[in-house]
Amino acid sequence: MIVLGIETSTDQVGCAIGGVEGMLASFHAARGRRHAETLVPAIEFVCKSVDIELREISVVAVDIGPGLFTGLRVGIATAKSMAQGLRVPVIGLSSLDLLAHQVRWSGRLIVPVIDAKRGEVFWSFYRHVPGGVQRLTEPKVCTADELSNEIAARGEECLAVGDGALRYRDILSDDLVEFGGQGVAYPSATDLVELAHPRAVREEFVMARELEPLYLRKADAEINWSTRSSA
Amino acid sequence: MTIEDNVTGESERERDRVLGIETSCDETAAAVVARGTDVLSSVVSSQVDLHARFGGVVPELASRAHVDLLTPVVAEALVTAGVEGPDVAAVAATTGPGLIGALLVGVAHAKALALVWGVPFVGVNHLEGHLYAAFLEEPDLELPAVVLLVSGGHTMLILMEGHGRYRLLGQTIDDAAGEAFDKVARFLGLGYPGGPAIDQLSMEGDGDAIAFPRGMRDDAYDFSFSGIKTSVITYVRKHPDVDIADVAASFQEAVVDVLVTKARRAAQDTGAKAICLAGGVAANSLLRERTLDACIEDGLRGYLPSRAMCTDNAAMIASAGWWRLNSDGPTSLAAGANPNLRLPVS
Ligand SMILES: [Zn+2]
Repeated sequence: MIVLGIETSTDQVGCAIGGVEGMLASFHAARGRRHAETLVPAIEFVCKSVDIELREISVVAVDIGPGLFTGLRVGIATAKSMAQGLRVPVIGLSSLDLLAHQVRWSGRLIVPVIDAKRGEVFWSFYRHVPGGVQRLTEPKVCTADELSNEIAARGEECLAVGDGALRYRDILSDDLVEFGGQGVAYPSATDLVELAHPRAVREEFVMARELEPLYLRKADAEINWSTRSSA
Repeated sequence: MTIEDNVTGESERERDRVLGIETSCDETAAAVVARGTDVLSSVVSSQVDLHARFGGVVPELASRAHVDLLTPVVAEALVTAGVEGPDVAAVAATTGPGLIGALLVGVAHAKALALVWGVPFVGVNHLEGHLYAAFLEEPDLELPAVVLLVSGGHTMLILMEGHGRYRLLGQTIDDAAGEAFDKVARFLGLGYPGGPAIDQLSMEGDGDAIAFPRGMRDDAYDFSFSGIKTSVITYVRKHPDVDIADVAASFQEAVVDVLVTKARRAAQDTGAKAICLAGGVAANSLLRERTLDACIEDGLRGYLPSRAMCTDNAAMIASAGWWRLNSDGPTSLAAGANPNLRLPVS
């Protein structure tokens, strides 16, 4: 069973292909051309480099967010479209799950933090459990200051990872907080494939049209509208 | 069924059907068109209701809706046309102009389909798509033709000399015609979108009741619609008891007068054989009527695509995509979208 992973929720664009034999090939780029320009040629390259025909793909896995809207949609639209064209199902995974997975052996409270721009971050709390991580709270969006308060209120040693943690390091810094480095700053397409594979085997997937992005933030007009309506 | 099953048996047949995808603004659309002229399917999922309460298109909401709607819309277009994906000649998608986030959804979708089906991807200019809408109903359209492209974002007078050969004769120096309709409708409390609302209400009013100014009517080919919008607002404030239907009808009369006068003049000056209407405003009843009258009077052919083909749709993208594929070949899968893409004019 071959799984294709598509990851575009942050400034990094990535794709990977793998199966029972493990990871076969992957591509990641954190700067340069836009996600929409890079992604499809990268998928083509990754498949060709390990002699995988596109029709051998059984499942398309994709990061559904939270993350940067425009990039996120490029990945989700590409995943839905490939699944539609290949007539295969899709598996959606959260960007925060993927970030936490990268540091799953830590005994500390794991806090994946994704830069949501405009001074805000997407985040959640996780803990190591045998075989991976367990999410403790619902994913949220708030300012870095508010997250700092949440961490302080928790009062335990934690490991903050992700581009949001690095960007707001000054605000989040505290005796209890340790920071993950650049190597774990972005969700990775290889983790996506690794996590999606067992789910694919268990047939825990959906059809392309059922896959929904996890935005966490309303469109600006809706926010203004509800403020105006309630005023 | 696997993809391989579909490919075999089709190889002998000429590939002439293009899947078109359009997501540049607030319509999620997909269509299958054969040889650039025969519409086998054209599915348009309008988001008008979604944006109506905000009085205009909200880019982020439009992009979100495209992601949700595009997969089922593409599936319906293929099923209705009775076409298997890998049998299409190409997948064409609008790459601009339009809302960047919205465009990217369609481009990403189209490129991924082209990749998995092993067929060419073709990037299409939305404005060129509008020009090709005329060919969908008049495959034998006579060229050169003057095309009056009027929509919420554009007002252009174009001389179409051949496939892919355009001359820009004139365009608006301020508001687009459709924009003026939307703004006046909003001011009159007629809601969004403004074009159909004004068209409807004008039926009950007198177009000669108020003489609104005809901006730049006697200038060559450029347009200006911001003055008339201001006149309407000033007039209604001064005459609060005026019949709104008369205001709508007189406003529409003034705009249509300018549009038709210039299209006619352009056809005469260039020796064009026909006048074509394109773009959302081309669905306006008075504009259609006056254009036809003018063509009859001047001995020109008048091409008025159906209302469904005037407003944004993917059949026009598939059509333009077919011609672009034949003239320029496939577009790279590394292509993106360009919100400010211009019509390639000479
Ligand atoms: Zn348009």
